Amino acid sequence: MTLSSIGYLLRETGRSLRRNLWMTVASVSTVAISLFVLAVFVVVSTNVTHVTTLLQNQVELKVFIKPKTNRAQEMALLKQVRVWPDVRRVEFFTKVQAAAQLRREFPDQQALFQVIAHSNPLLDGYDVFTHTPDQIPAVAHRFARERIVHNVIYQGTIIKRLTGLGRIVKWSGWIVEALLAAATLLIIINTIRLAVFARRREIQVMRLVGATNWFIRWPFILEGLVIGLLGTFLSELVVGLGYRWVLARAAIALPFWPMVNLHTIMVRTTLFTGLGGLAVGTIASVIALRRFLRV
Amino acid sequence: MIRLEGVTKRYPNGHHGLVDVSLTIHRGEFVFLVGPSGAGKSTLIRLLYGEDRATQGDVMIDQFRLGSMSLRQLPRLRRKLGIVFQDGKLLPTRTVFQNVAFAMEVVGASKKDIMRRVPQVLELVGLRRRRDHYPDQLSGGEQQRVGIARALVNQPTYVLADEPTGNLDPDTAADIMRLFTEINRRGATVLMATHARELVNHLQKRVIAIEDGRIVRDEARGAYGYDA
Repeated sequence: MTLSSIGYLLRETGRSLRRNLWMTVASVSTVAISLFVLAVFVVVSTNVTHVTTLLQNQVELKVFIKPKTNRAQEMALLKQVRVWPDVRRVEFFTKVQAAAQLRREFPDQQALFQVIAHSNPLLDGYDVFTHTPDQIPAVAHRFARERIVHNVIYQGTIIKRLTGLGRIVKWSGWIVEALLAAATLLIIINTIRLAVFARRREIQVMRLVGATNWFIRWPFILEGLVIGLLGTFLSELVVGLGYRWVLARAAIALPFWPMVNLHTIMVRTTLFTGLGGLAVGTIASVIALRRFLRV
Repeated sequence: MIRLEGVTKRYPNGHHGLVDVSLTIHRGEFVFLVGPSGAGKSTLIRLLYGEDRATQGDVMIDQFRLGSMSLRQLPRLRRKLGIVFQDGKLLPTRTVFQNVAFAMEVVGASKKDIMRRVPQVLELVGLRRRRDHYPDQLSGGEQQRVGIARALVNQPTYVLADEPTGNLDPDTAADIMRLFTEINRRGATVLMATHARELVNHLQKRVIAIEDGRIVRDEARGAYGYDA
């Protein structure tokens, strides 16, 4: 393909997009809306995964030991636990350390500290980390069977629910997206079909003078591609501005809530919407050309 | 060289377009194809530019065997041909110049070649002054000249014309016919289906007459041979 052919191709594509301006606008908006919905699902799912991972990396189990257990018994259990296969790391803490920790976390609760200072009601215990979250319940049970263990607290339920939520978001996202993709596809197919129809005389002449089939097809494929990518651009614009706004609001309303940063979100959603726009545009043109352009 | 050997074209509705037609046209010839309407003249031309395929027999143009040729090959054949129709098949939204240039653009010609070649062809067909007019601003004869210019612009070896003077008054038709003889004089092989009796008789070229899909006459210096 020569340079002047590429010039021709770009001119023809632009001409066609302008001639069917309203269909172009309709197609681009449909693509943009459906890609925006896709992006929203990606944003939610990325954030859920992010929180889940963070929680997993925090303390997973807290094991408390019965009062009046002596230090030797505590150390003996600690030694045993270190070789349990599911346990990644285990740290012992005394009730004095627990009180100090509490003081650091809630420096304003003076009344509480007075009580603790008088007679510390807290317990000795272990912070236990597993390799994966599904190992938590088993490890918790194993601790509970130990004679000196008072009780076990873990966040496994939260993590399990978050993982479940993440899965639901993903699946419902894909289902909604499949429906939207079908609608988008139909609209682009129609736009390309109109473009083919508007150019039927040109196509006839092209075939008579010996233009190759690909030369005839390219402007239409490019048209579909441009529609798809304009849709991507629009949806990413909204996603970017929207997420920046959400981040700003979240920083005020939920200061401790860990949000995924804007850069990561943009990279991730652009990956999805970019591929989506490309795919829907190209597939639609190919289908339209198959059905309406017999060359 | 154009060669047909035992070519039959049957349409799906059972109608016979051509029956066992054999003929040879050498490079540089000027050939009239005459006969009543529906005799098979257009069918023959359509077979030659690959729009239809023969039911039986071989159609050959230079190295192309049209019967066994894949659709991908078709553009390569068409670049050797210049095709002119009764209605010019002009693009109404483009000027004369753009209509002719379009035929070069879509086969990948460079801008430089287009700017050089298109004015030459417009000069040849006598439309230099009309280059920026749109088809609906032209007379029937002028429109037909644009169609001819477009057919010639890629320098075809063969020019196929299906009743190019069918819509024109006798004087204009004579002008167009002179243009075709000029094109032939410059080296292109011309095959023209026509009803223009006076002109065929006047020009004394090879005449092939077709009736009911069969060749009934092939004369080197022929006449139209039908009463009007």
